[in-house]
Amino acid sequence: MSLTAFKRALWVYHLNTGSCNGCDIEILAVLTPRYDAERFGIKLVGSPRHADVLLVTGPVVRQMVSRVKRIYEQTPDPKLVMVVGNCGIEGGVFYESYSLAGPIDQIIPVDVYVPGCPPRPEAIIHGVVTAWVKLENLVKQEAA
Amino acid sequence: MTFILESGYAFWNPLIWIIVFIVVMLIVYFFRRRGQKGYKKDTDQAQIFLCGEEVPEAEQRHIRVGNIYWGFFETLKEYYNVILRPHTGIINDYILWFVAATAISAIILFIAGLGK
Repeated sequence: MSLTAFKRALWVYHLNTGSCNGCDIEILAVLTPRYDAERFGIKLVGSPRHADVLLVTGPVVRQMVSRVKRIYEQTPDPKLVMVVGNCGIEGGVFYESYSLAGPIDQIIPVDVYVPGCPPRPEAIIHGVVTAWVKLENLVKQEAA
Repeated sequence: MTFILESGYAFWNPLIWIIVFIVVMLIVYFFRRRGQKGYKKDTDQAQIFLCGEEVPEAEQRHIRVGNIYWGFFETLKEYYNVILRPHTGIINDYILWFVAATAISAIILFIAGLGK
C-alpha cells in the first residue's frame, strides 16, 4: 500500500453523539504511548474545519442530529466519516431507545465502520488506515 | 529622474515603496496558494465552528463595544441615576441650569468681593 496522493498527516475530528464514553476512552488509548497513532501521522484536531476524517461515536441522540449534520457540512472536502462502536453502527445497547435518531448512517453518509463495544485500539487504528486509503483514492479521483 | 525626496535627515522614494509592496504581495500570494483548497464558498464549510451549534447573525455573536464599560456603569450606578435625572434632553432645562449656575456664581463672587 503506497500513500502518495494524500501528502500530509491525516487529521481526525472526534464527535461524540451520545456515547457512553467507552469508545472515547479507547480512542484516547490510541493516542497514548502504547499505540501512539501520531507516529503514523494520525492526529486528533479540535475543529472539523481542519479535519479530513470525522470519527463519530455514540448512537446519535435526537438533540445531536442537527449538530451532526452541521459538523459534517462544515468539514472540508474530500472528507470521510468513520463510525467507532456498535452504538453508532446499529444502536448497540440503546437499540430502539425513544431518544435516538440514529444510527449514524441514517443521518450522514458513513465510509468506515469499526464495530465493537468498545472496539480495541488496534481495530480503531485499522479503521483509520482504511479511511486513509479511501481518502487516497478520493484525492486521486479529484486530481484526475 | 530619481524620484528621491530628501528631508536632510532621511529620504523618501516612491519606487522603493512600490517594490516593497510588490514583494509583500508576492509573499502573500505564495502563502495563499499553499492554503486549503477544499473549502467551498457559500456553504457551511466557510461558517464559524461553534461546536455544531447554529451560527447566529454577526450582531448576535459579537460583544457590543458598550459592554466594555459595564463595570463602570454597574459600580457608579447610584451616581449615574442622580446625574441622568437632570439630563432631560430639553434645551430649555439646560438654559435654566446655565442661568441658575451663573446666578449662583455671581452671588458667590459678589459676596467674596464684599469682604475685600
